[in-house]
Amino acid sequence: MIGWWGASSEMTGPGAAAYSLPHATVRVFYSRILTSETWQALIQAQSYDAVLSILAKTEYGDYLKIERHLLTPRRAVYQIRWHVADLYDKLINLVPKPARPLLLWMWRLYEVDNLKAILRGIESGAPWSQVRLLISPVARHATLNRADMQRMTESQDVVRAIGIIEHTPYYHTLIHAVERYRDEGSLFPLEVALDLEHGRQLWQSIQQLDGQDHQAALRVVGGQFDVNNLLWAIRYRVYHNLSEQEVVNYTLPYGHRVRDEDIRAIAAGTDIMQVVKRIYPNLEGLKPIQEDGEGVGTLELALKRHVVQLCHDAFLGYPFHIGLPAAYLLLTEYEIQDLTVLIEAKSTDLPLSVFGPMLVVEPPAYRAD
Amino acid sequence: MFRSQIMSRVELIVPEHDIVAVTEALAASGVFQLTQTGHTGGERAPRYAGDWQDRVPVFAELEQRIQAVMADLGVDEGPPPAETPHLIEPDVVRIDVDRLEHETQMPLRDLKEEQGRLDQLQRQVKQLRTIIDLEVDLESVRDMRYTFALMGTMPVTNLERLRTSLEIVPSALVTLRREEHLATVVLFGTRRDAEILTRAARSAYLNPLQLSESFRGTPAEAIEALEAGVERARQRIEEAQAAIDRLSDLRREHLRHLLWRVRASRTLAETIARYGRLRYTYLVAGWVPTAKLSPLEQEVRQASDKVLIEVETPHRRGDESIPVALKNPPIIRAFQGLVTTYGRPQYGEIDPTPMIALTFPLIFGIMFGDVGHGLVLLLAGLLLASRRVRSLRGLAGIGAVLAVCGAASMIFGVLFGSVFGYEELIDPLWLRPLAKIMDVLLVTVGMGAVLLSAGMILNMINAALARRWGQLIFGHNGLAGLLLYWSLLGLVAGGFVDQFPIGASTLTALALVSGTAVIFSEVLENLVEGHRPLVHGGLGSYLVQLPIELFEMLIGFLSNTLSYVRIGAFAVAHGTLGVVIFIIAGIIGTEGSIGYWIVVLLGNLFIIGFEGMIVGIQTLRLEYYEFFSKFFSGGGARYRPLTLISREEE
Repeated sequence: MIGWWGASSEMTGPGAAAYSLPHATVRVFYSRILTSETWQALIQAQSYDAVLSILAKTEYGDYLKIERHLLTPRRAVYQIRWHVADLYDKLINLVPKPARPLLLWMWRLYEVDNLKAILRGIESGAPWSQVRLLISPVARHATLNRADMQRMTESQDVVRAIGIIEHTPYYHTLIHAVERYRDEGSLFPLEVALDLEHGRQLWQSIQQLDGQDHQAALRVVGGQFDVNNLLWAIRYRVYHNLSEQEVVNYTLPYGHRVRDEDIRAIAAGTDIMQVVKRIYPNLEGLKPIQEDGEGVGTLELALKRHVVQLCHDAFLGYPFHIGLPAAYLLLTEYEIQDLTVLIEAKSTDLPLSVFGPMLVVEPPAYRAD
Repeated sequence: MFRSQIMSRVELIVPEHDIVAVTEALAASGVFQLTQTGHTGGERAPRYAGDWQDRVPVFAELEQRIQAVMADLGVDEGPPPAETPHLIEPDVVRIDVDRLEHETQMPLRDLKEEQGRLDQLQRQVKQLRTIIDLEVDLESVRDMRYTFALMGTMPVTNLERLRTSLEIVPSALVTLRREEHLATVVLFGTRRDAEILTRAARSAYLNPLQLSESFRGTPAEAIEALEAGVERARQRIEEAQAAIDRLSDLRREHLRHLLWRVRASRTLAETIARYGRLRYTYLVAGWVPTAKLSPLEQEVRQASDKVLIEVETPHRRGDESIPVALKNPPIIRAFQGLVTTYGRPQYGEIDPTPMIALTFPLIFGIMFGDVGHGLVLLLAGLLLASRRVRSLRGLAGIGAVLAVCGAASMIFGVLFGSVFGYEELIDPLWLRPLAKIMDVLLVTVGMGAVLLSAGMILNMINAALARRWGQLIFGHNGLAGLLLYWSLLGLVAGGFVDQFPIGASTLTALALVSGTAVIFSEVLENLVEGHRPLVHGGLGSYLVQLPIELFEMLIGFLSNTLSYVRIGAFAVAHGTLGVVIFIIAGIIGTEGSIGYWIVVLLGNLFIIGFEGMIVGIQTLRLEYYEFFSKFFSGGGARYRPLTLISREEE
C-alpha cells in the first residue's frame, strides 16, 4: 500500500509531503511547455523574425529580451538555453535532498558538453569570444564556472586546460585520458572518457535512490540512459568501425531495459534491428540499418520520441517522486533541441520537408513518419 | 560643501598637429571629463596610416607582448608612474620589444626543455613506483618473444569492463596494485592476439608503462638510475632560472617604464579616436569644474597657442548629463561612499554627505555605546585607513568611517558608563540605558522626529533650488507635509505633557489645513507650476485614491518615526549583551579564572564583530530608508576626469 502523505512499507524515500512543493511547481511549469498551436505557428512561421515574435509570447520571451540586432540565431539559441539552466537551478533547490544528486548529474551533462566545446575550441585555436557562444549557460550549481572556462580556452593547450579544473569531478577522468590524447592527438578518447564517467555517475545517482524515487528515476532517466548507451554502441560499430572489445569498453554495462547482453550482442556484430526490436517491440517506422549508417538517424529519432513519451507518461499516476521533475526537465531539453533546429532552419530558409523530420516533440500531425 | 561643484562645458577646436600635446595637457590637468562628440558633419576626413583608431590595436598588441615578456621574467607592473608618460611611436616600441623577446627567449627555452625532461623522468619514476616491489627484470618483460604482456595503469572503474570485453580472447588481466582511482595491471596474452589486446587495453584507458630501452634491472634499480637523471635536470633548471633572474633584475625598470608608456599611448589613441573630426582640426568637448577652468585654459594654451576655446556654464537645474563633482573636506569625504552607494546626487541637488557624516556616527554611537568596543573599532579603522596591511587595502575606504564610528561609540560609552560590557567601571555622564529604558526610547524617537523634519526641510531646499514651488509648498515632504507632521506630533505630545504651549484646537486646525493641502497636493502642485492636466488618470480614480494616499502618508509618518526606536532598542540590547556575557562567564568559571576571561574575551569579540555589523546595517537602513527617502533622489552622472594612466578609484 502506498500512503499519499508518507512512506509505506513498500515505499521509502522522501514521500508526498516532501514532494508537495516540487510537484505543484512542476505541474505549473508543465502547463507552460509549448502547446501544439504554438508549435504549429512556429513551424509555419515565414521567417526567423516571425519565430522570435512567437517565442516572445512564451516562457522563452524573457530570455530573448535583448536588442534585436544582437539576437543572431546563435545568440537566440544561447539565450533560450538559459531557460533550462534556470529550471535546473530552481528544481535542484526544491526537490528533497536525497534526490538532488540525480538532477545535479543530469545537469552536468551540460558541463560535459561545455568541456567538449572548450577542448574543441582549443584544438581549433578559437578565441574565447567564439567559444563562449557555444557553451551552455552556467547554472548556480555548476562546478565549472565561466572564469574557469575562459581560462581553459585562453590557455590554448589541452593539457594545461585540464590542469585548471582540478577542483571539478572531471579532473581525474581527463588527466588519465590525456595520455591517450598525447599519443593519438585526437580529442576522441577525452570525450568518450567524459561521457562514460558522466554515465556512470548518473547511473549511480539513480541507484542511490529508494522506493518510488528509484522506480520513477529508472523509468524516466533510465529510459534516456538506455537510449544513449544503445546509440553509442551502434554508432561506434557502424560509423567508427571499432572492434568488439572497443565497443564494449566504450559503453556501460547497465541500463533499465537495455541489458549488457544487448550491448555486447551489437558489439559482436548481431543484426542491430533484431536487438532493437527485442528491447523496444513497439517502436515503429524504423528502417534497416545499413553499413554506411543509413537508418541510424531514423532509429535515433524514434528512440528520442520514445523518451519524450516516457516523460509525458510520468505525469500519470502517483505524482510524488523525482520522476516528475526529471521528466519535465528532459521534456524541456527536447523542446530546446527542437527550437534550435527550428531557429537554424528558419534563419537559413530550409523547407519543412528538410527540418520537419528532425523535430522530436512536435505534435503527431507534423511528424514526417 | 552641501552642493556639487559648478561645472562648465568646454569645447576646444584643436589643430591636428597639436592634438597630442593638447590631449596630454587635458589628461595631466586631472579635471577634464571628455564627452563623446563623434565625427562632426560634413566630409569625413580621409583615413591615413596614422589614423588613431588604427593605432589602438597596435598599441594593445605591443602591450600584450610586453606583458608576456614581464610574465616570463616574473616582473610585475609596479605602481603607476608619478607623471603621465608621453606618446611613443609604435615602431620604436616594436624594435625594443623584439629585442627584449629575443634575449628572453634563449634562457626560457633552456628552462622549458629542462622542465620537460624533468617532467618526463618524474613520470617514468612515478610509473615505475607502482611496480617497485616486483623482482622482475624489466628487459625480460620488454623483450618477451611469444607472450604478449602489457603493463600499465588504468581507472579502477574500467577493470571489469576490460575483462568482459576480453571474454572470448585468451588473456589474463592481473591487478598488481589498486588505489582510489587507478589500478596498476598487467595484461597477458599471446603474441598472435597482440593487436586485439592492445586495442582493447587502449579503449579501457590502460596507459601502458613505457619500458624504455634504457631501463635496466628491476624496477627499483631503474628508479635509482632515473632519480640520478632527475637530480641533473633539477640542477640545470636552477642554472636556467638564475639566468632568467639576472635578466629580470637587469630589465625590470625598463620593462615597467615601457609598459606604462605604451599603455598611456594606447589610452591617448583611444581618446583621440573619440574626438570629433573636421578636415584639419579636432573638436574636443567635455566638462570642467568652473573653478578649475582658468588653470586648465593656461595649460592648454601652453600646449598649443592655436586652440579655440569656448566655455558655457549651464544653469544648475535639469540636465542629467552634467557630471557631478562632489567637493567635501577630507574629514567627511570617507562618508561620500555611503551616499554614492545609494545614489549620486543630481547636478544642483543637495549633497547629503555632510549630513550623513554627522548623523551616521551619532546613530551608530548611541546603538553601540561602549568605550572599549569603540576603541577597538577606532584602532581597526585607523589601521585600515593607513593602508599598512597590503591585503586589506581594498577596505581602506571604510577605515575612516569605522574610526569615526568607533570614536562616537567611545563618546557614548562615556555617557553610558560602559567599558567592554563592564557597567561599574566608570560612572555614566548621562544615563545607563539598561536602567532607564523608557527614557532612551523616548529620546531616540524624538531624535527620529528631528531627523525626519530635517529631511523634509532639505527636500524643500531641493525644491527651491529646482524652482519647484508647488512641490515646496504642497508636497508630501514639503511645507504642508512638515506642518501636518509637526501638528500631529504636537497633538500626541499634548496628550502627555501638561500645559503644552500650543492649544489642541490650534494644532487640529493646522493639521486639517495642512492635511487638506497634502491630499490635494497633485492638483495644487500642477496648478502652481503650470503643468496640465491638473489630474492624471481621470477625476474618479483620483478621488478614490485621495483617502488611501492620506492614510498611507499618516502610516508612513508613524512608521518612519517609530523606526528610530531601534536606536534606543539597540542601545539597551548592547548593554544586555554585555551583562549576558558576564553571566555566562560566571557559569563557566569563577571570576578571575582562565575560563571566565576566555568567555569575556570571546563574548566581547562577538559583540564587536557581529553586533557591530548589525548596528552598522541598521544605521545604514535608517539613513537610506527613513532619512534619504525624504529629500534625496540621486541618479546624477559620475565625474570621471580624463586620465591616460588609470590610478586608484575615487
